[in-house]
Amino acid sequence: MTHIETLASFLLEGDPDKAWTCIESYPKTARPDVYHHLITPAMRHIGHLWETNKITVADEHLATATCDFILSKLSFGIRKAPSADKAMFLCLDGEQHYLGLKMVDSLFREHGWETRYFGPDLPLEYALQTAEIWKPDVIGLSVSIVYHLPKLQQYAEALGNLPDKPNILVGGRLAGMYDLSRYGSGNTIILKDLPETEEWLLDYRTGGPQSGTITTPTSPPLYKS
Amino acid sequence: MERLRLPLPLPYIRVNRDGRIVSYSALAEEQFDLSNGHIRSLIDEESINKLVRISSETGLAPIKMELNMITKEEPFALFDVHLQWDTENYASMIFLRKDSSNEELIEKLMNIQHRLASSDFELLEKKEELESALKRLDELSGPFIPLSDSLCMIPLFGDITADKINTISESCLQSVFRGNYEVVLFDLTAVGEVHADGIEKFIQLVKTLNFMTGDIIKLIGIKPNLAKELNHHKLDQWVQFNHSLKEELSMYSHKRHD
Repeated sequence: MTHIETLASFLLEGDPDKAWTCIESYPKTARPDVYHHLITPAMRHIGHLWETNKITVADEHLATATCDFILSKLSFGIRKAPSADKAMFLCLDGEQHYLGLKMVDSLFREHGWETRYFGPDLPLEYALQTAEIWKPDVIGLSVSIVYHLPKLQQYAEALGNLPDKPNILVGGRLAGMYDLSRYGSGNTIILKDLPETEEWLLDYRTGGPQSGTITTPTSPPLYKS
Repeated sequence: MERLRLPLPLPYIRVNRDGRIVSYSALAEEQFDLSNGHIRSLIDEESINKLVRISSETGLAPIKMELNMITKEEPFALFDVHLQWDTENYASMIFLRKDSSNEELIEKLMNIQHRLASSDFELLEKKEELESALKRLDELSGPFIPLSDSLCMIPLFGDITADKINTISESCLQSVFRGNYEVVLFDLTAVGEVHADGIEKFIQLVKTLNFMTGDIIKLIGIKPNLAKELNHHKLDQWVQFNHSLKEELSMYSHKRHD
């Protein structure tokens, strides 16, 4: 079994101790590497196991909860930088796939940002309310289920039109699979994965290009609303 | 497409190899929009591949799989789908909505787990805070006091632990090296308990000071319990023992008046 499959099996067992040992024995130690090359592929593998009828959604829930714990443990100890740029992160209403968002949140904190992480399923009204008061520089949205895509446009527009015009970042499983640009508005940036997000972060510091994803994959399937 | 007269207690749909619906039960019609006549239109885009793959791999044995489906009520709902092919190349499918009370339970479980995780991290955070407070306390437990150009004093407070002596050693050595002292007093009046590893570290510190500076090191304010402990370590060659700060200071002032 590869490292990735081993981690996936521990996550499915719901054994955070074994999963943690697996992360510790991974040759790369930098958080972004562990996120992108180990944890994300392990969770994708779990998705694949569902698609091939090997596991159920309940198993996936257990793996998600275990992975969530591992992510919290991994990002524990990143110090808050009080005067830094601010970013808030949320999943669209109904969207339960939040692990990627959580990794992005930790990536931002590691880069010295002050963040607020709202996790899965945040209604737009609440996001708007918070953003209006807290005035983040960046709002990160995550979407993983095609069915939730129509809501993305609504979120991107409403949040992007706030008085302080925050940058809207869009990520999640679909960002790597489809061209989501038509669901965004003027200040929406699509980031297809963690390395691209990290690049964006570095560019933000240096004032470099902030275009987000350049490759344009296919359009997502349409949903009757 | 034929509607079955049989009153089945679960939604039932029969499809051909292409996925065209050939017959369905009353409950299937009630729950799903069958107007398209194709099984595809009932299944979430991303579950279709799963259905196609799993159903094509199975022989005549019944199989069960989870699929996300589009119902009249919900655009995205998880179902257990039981499927079996017959010899005429038709698949019978029965649809069983995943019990939503399960979902509630899962959600509650997740909330509890979330709370546990956050209290776990709060505890860790408190532990770190406590550790840094203890370290700070250690740092403040051995202040350096220059009494004159040639005499300095380091009173030790609290229990003598290895951690504490390690913490104060560096600043203590630096302060002593910086001056030109002849005598270094360690005042042990305010010492509580003595740990064996603490006393070892303390003796190391005293030896280092003695080697590096050649200063006379004196221990004052030694209580009986400490005296017993120190006795094991044959310190006489490194330090002098005197009784109290008072005696030491009076000796020092006599010397100055001479």
